[in-house]
Amino acid sequence: MIEVKELRKEFKSHSSRSGLKGAFRDLFTRNYKVVPAVNDISFTVKSGEMVGYIGENGAGKSTSIKMLTGILTPTSGMVKVNGMDPHKEREQFVRSIGVVFGQRSQLWWDIAVQESFRLLKKVYNVPDDVYNVHMNHVIESLDIAPLLDKPVRKLSLGQRMRCELAAALLHNPPLLFLDEPTIGLDVLVKLKIRAFLKEMNEKYNTTILLTTHDLTDIEALCERVIMLDKGKIIYDGKLVNLRSNWGEGKQIEFQFADLTMTKERLMPLLAEFEAVWTPGDRNNVWVANVRNDEQIISNVIGRVLAAYKIIDLKVHEMSIEDIIRNIYEEGITNG
Amino acid sequence: MKYTAIFFQYAAQYLKTRFTYRVDTVIEIISDLLSQTVNFIFILLVFNHTSFISGWSRDEIIFIYGFFLVPFAIFGAFFNIWDFNERYIVKGEMDRILTRPIHSLFQIVLERMELESLFGVITGIGVMFYAGSRLGLSFSWYDPFIFVAMVLGGTLVYSGIFVLIASISFWSDSPTSIMPMIYNIGNYGRYPVDIYNHVIRFVLTWILPFAFVGVYPAAYFLGREDWYVYAFMTPIVGSSFFMLSVIMWNIGVTKYRGAGN
Repeated sequence: MIEVKELRKEFKSHSSRSGLKGAFRDLFTRNYKVVPAVNDISFTVKSGEMVGYIGENGAGKSTSIKMLTGILTPTSGMVKVNGMDPHKEREQFVRSIGVVFGQRSQLWWDIAVQESFRLLKKVYNVPDDVYNVHMNHVIESLDIAPLLDKPVRKLSLGQRMRCELAAALLHNPPLLFLDEPTIGLDVLVKLKIRAFLKEMNEKYNTTILLTTHDLTDIEALCERVIMLDKGKIIYDGKLVNLRSNWGEGKQIEFQFADLTMTKERLMPLLAEFEAVWTPGDRNNVWVANVRNDEQIISNVIGRVLAAYKIIDLKVHEMSIEDIIRNIYEEGITNG
Repeated sequence: MKYTAIFFQYAAQYLKTRFTYRVDTVIEIISDLLSQTVNFIFILLVFNHTSFISGWSRDEIIFIYGFFLVPFAIFGAFFNIWDFNERYIVKGEMDRILTRPIHSLFQIVLERMELESLFGVITGIGVMFYAGSRLGLSFSWYDPFIFVAMVLGGTLVYSGIFVLIASISFWSDSPTSIMPMIYNIGNYGRYPVDIYNHVIRFVLTWILPFAFVGVYPAAYFLGREDWYVYAFMTPIVGSSFFMLSVIMWNIGVTKYRGAGN
């Protein structure tokens, strides 16, 4: 479905010198810096997969998605999506994909949603019977029937996003790119959209590539994640492996009755367990980060309880978000 | 064929939107007609005192002006790309355009169409009839066809120049300041080019061929036989210039850098 080999995109940017004198010199000679936004990445995505594409801002997510959708021309490397070269055969190629950019509307601002759909239907040349069957289903699952006769500018963000999604799927593409589809949406709409994407994937075997800052989206939808950092892929594999490889720790959160609890007083309790105390969100809340081992966990809890009075106790598994933050901060060393 | 169908779909949609904003549309049409009347009166005033400018009579110049209005109106209706840089490059709207299965330039033409500009065609033809009847011009049966070809040629010249300039946006960040300048230069095409010096005439014929929008094709209808060569080159210059601009556009699209999110 998607095949990417040593894909690279460089941007030339000129770094301006400082001050008025510098600006004047810039007029004549410029310092160009070639910055690789995407640095020789390779991966393949099989038909029917749902892949989460994650990375910090500026990691190269958008740039690589834009190359996969034919918007940008790669500097070097090979991209093949749906058997085509996205940039060279753009007009033919884009018929086989659907794209949703969360921060950019595909719909016409001034006209009713159904008119937008009508135009897109013409643009994609979808026959009436196919359109009716498929779109009725989409409209029903996304629950947008009451919105169809309203102009897009009068819709709320959640309503608009559902319509965007429907518009992207109007020609029933086998491959769907979603760039931040749930940004700024409330939980209910998010859940609705996730359920819809899952349904599409099951019903039509639609391949979905998803970038998002909201990792719960990825947890809910994707088995596989590709993680980018500074234009390179730093992890490509199953989401569950990510948890078992890096998420082995547990966090035990104690809320002490003593409001002036200090790290010094807690330190001796866990000396031999390689546990680390980190301060919680309040003065009397402390978190013990320990290895995921029943022996250690019960021992830690037992000792703390024996030494101090507590008000509350919570045991957390490390969230995907924490794991990913750790990976970005420490790099992949133990993988 | 498919493009024609899409074109009409968009045009219908455009009219529908227009009709929902009735007051707006009426005001725009009135202001359009008004600015054309002002232009017309201005020409009359200027040529009131001098009846000849290097061999051109007042009515001939009015005729050229009337002709110019026709391709200019068509250009204005379909090529609103003067803000291409801000709207599509800086704001990144080009991303959306490029994910649709139609040629990018055609999509922009469709999106930015302003059909009310076509009223200028009527004004232009009216002006030509006024000047033509005073000059006692006679037309033969094939002249309307030649007129259509000339108008198309002129429109393509005008559009080609602006598409070419818009294409620069794919490479450079700020070509916006050129646009208004070229617009001004475009106005020179509505006067007989032999009133200018050689350099300007050369520029208006071969570099920024605005002369092919007004004077040259109009010269045919005025029966200026010494200008016929230029007049009949209009469709050729138009189509080759437009083709060149589309080629530049296509190259430009591969250089598109996108806007950051």
